[in-house]
Amino acid sequence: MPLITLDPTNGPLGSDAASFEMAGRPLTLAGHTLGIIANGLGQSEVMFDALADQLSKWDDLAGSVKVVKPSVAVAPWPAQWAEITEHATVAVTGFGGCGSCSTRSMRDALDLEAAGIPAVCLVHTALVPAVRALCSLMGAPDYPFVIVDYPYNPTGNWTVDECNALATQVLDGVRLRLTASGADQ
Amino acid sequence: MTLQSDTLLHEDYPEAVEAYFENGYTDGLPIIPPTPEAVESMLAAAHLAGPEVLGEVPTRNVTVTAEKAAVNAVMAGCKSEYFPVVAAAVRALLQPLANCHSTTATLAGSAHALIVNGPVRERIGVVSGQACMGPGFRTNATIGRALRLVIRNVCRTVPTELDRATFSWPLRYSFCFGENEEYSDWTPNHVLQGYSPEDSAVTIMSVMRLLAAIEMAPESEVILEMISETARLYGLSVDSFVGDARGIVVIIGMEHQRRLLDDGWTKEAVREWLFERMTRPTIGRYDLKVNLAEPSRILVIAAGGPGIAESRVIMPHLAAPTHEQVR
Repeated sequence: MPLITLDPTNGPLGSDAASFEMAGRPLTLAGHTLGIIANGLGQSEVMFDALADQLSKWDDLAGSVKVVKPSVAVAPWPAQWAEITEHATVAVTGFGGCGSCSTRSMRDALDLEAAGIPAVCLVHTALVPAVRALCSLMGAPDYPFVIVDYPYNPTGNWTVDECNALATQVLDGVRLRLTASGADQ
Repeated sequence: MTLQSDTLLHEDYPEAVEAYFENGYTDGLPIIPPTPEAVESMLAAAHLAGPEVLGEVPTRNVTVTAEKAAVNAVMAGCKSEYFPVVAAAVRALLQPLANCHSTTATLAGSAHALIVNGPVRERIGVVSGQACMGPGFRTNATIGRALRLVIRNVCRTVPTELDRATFSWPLRYSFCFGENEEYSDWTPNHVLQGYSPEDSAVTIMSVMRLLAAIEMAPESEVILEMISETARLYGLSVDSFVGDARGIVVIIGMEHQRRLLDDGWTKEAVREWLFERMTRPTIGRYDLKVNLAEPSRILVIAAGGPGIAESRVIMPHLAAPTHEQVR
């Protein structure tokens, strides 16, 4: 006997998402202020500091502003969001190395894009399926990000040397994603 | 009543069950096909309109309506009269301090305990005594499962996708039990949270660890010391988002409760004593401070049956216990 049943979901991922547009990219990072929305995972804050130092040194950044969220997988406090959006002209988020913090950091990046600030999220390779799902949910299935691979472990348990080395390793990717030269790649 | 969900047409009942597997809508166990009639019956039992919003997961842009919760409650095998408890549980889970995104997507794979208080337990048969945390009771099993199916299907917490649990664990199939309010005159949990004894309410508690505190000694202080030591094995760190709302749950088993009652301990006295011990400074790798702001953040629950002298301690993920009245 035929049977009619109901869909238990809200539909396919992203089916109810608003249209997504990336913020316009500058040609270079020179003169820009880097915003950092850090989630405090492991030693990732040390890596972000090293990344800001390297971008200042090589790309002539005007400066940087960093906030560390109150918990790894939540939105920044309103005051932190205001601090970033008032001062930053480009931004990085992360570290996307745990289940919920990776997707929340990706959401931070997408929110920055919506606020007109070019952003990039640093994500560990182990969490790529999660952030892809989050991007799809938000109507941005092809949103690019920078992937960190092993031997760096996902949860940011790195030595200071590893933090510095990782900052160097992601430098090109971050530069590429934040500027016009790489936004569409 | 007009339902909004997309419909699926099946040749027959077995084909419908298989289709829900194939579409990725189940927890790995068969479901009851959610027909419109069954879903309407759920909503009617809770006096809810389908479009009514029970809550949101902001990070995921997810809104959970009563209708979607009802669809998943049918799938879980709930009777209609269970649905007010399911709806309250979903509301509690989606309160900001329950931190739904974090607690359901985490590598740590935390589960959720759904604790039921008040007259609804007797009305629908929520089990709070012997074996209350395990299989064998439709009410406990299906209400807990309904919450998990909402987390999976509506909140998008699909394992290996948005759910990144490294191991996950069996408590994620279902974890619901009641407080045994009838065994003693201890103040029920929901009354301590501000509800009246005539109210029914649920508590949602994220579960990072479920620890057994077994102590055969007859002295109340020795029993409480074991509970404190058990919590201090892992301790509890400060989390700025959760703030002073962070809490733990201590489930006092019947044999322990009997000793405590004989010695005149009230719930309030138990949590005062535990708070003083648990919050002492860290003194070793396996003796860690449980960072709690005040004694009331130790939720003392009476449950379980006669037998072994055991209590249990639930340590949270990055969330606070939340409460919601069963309407």
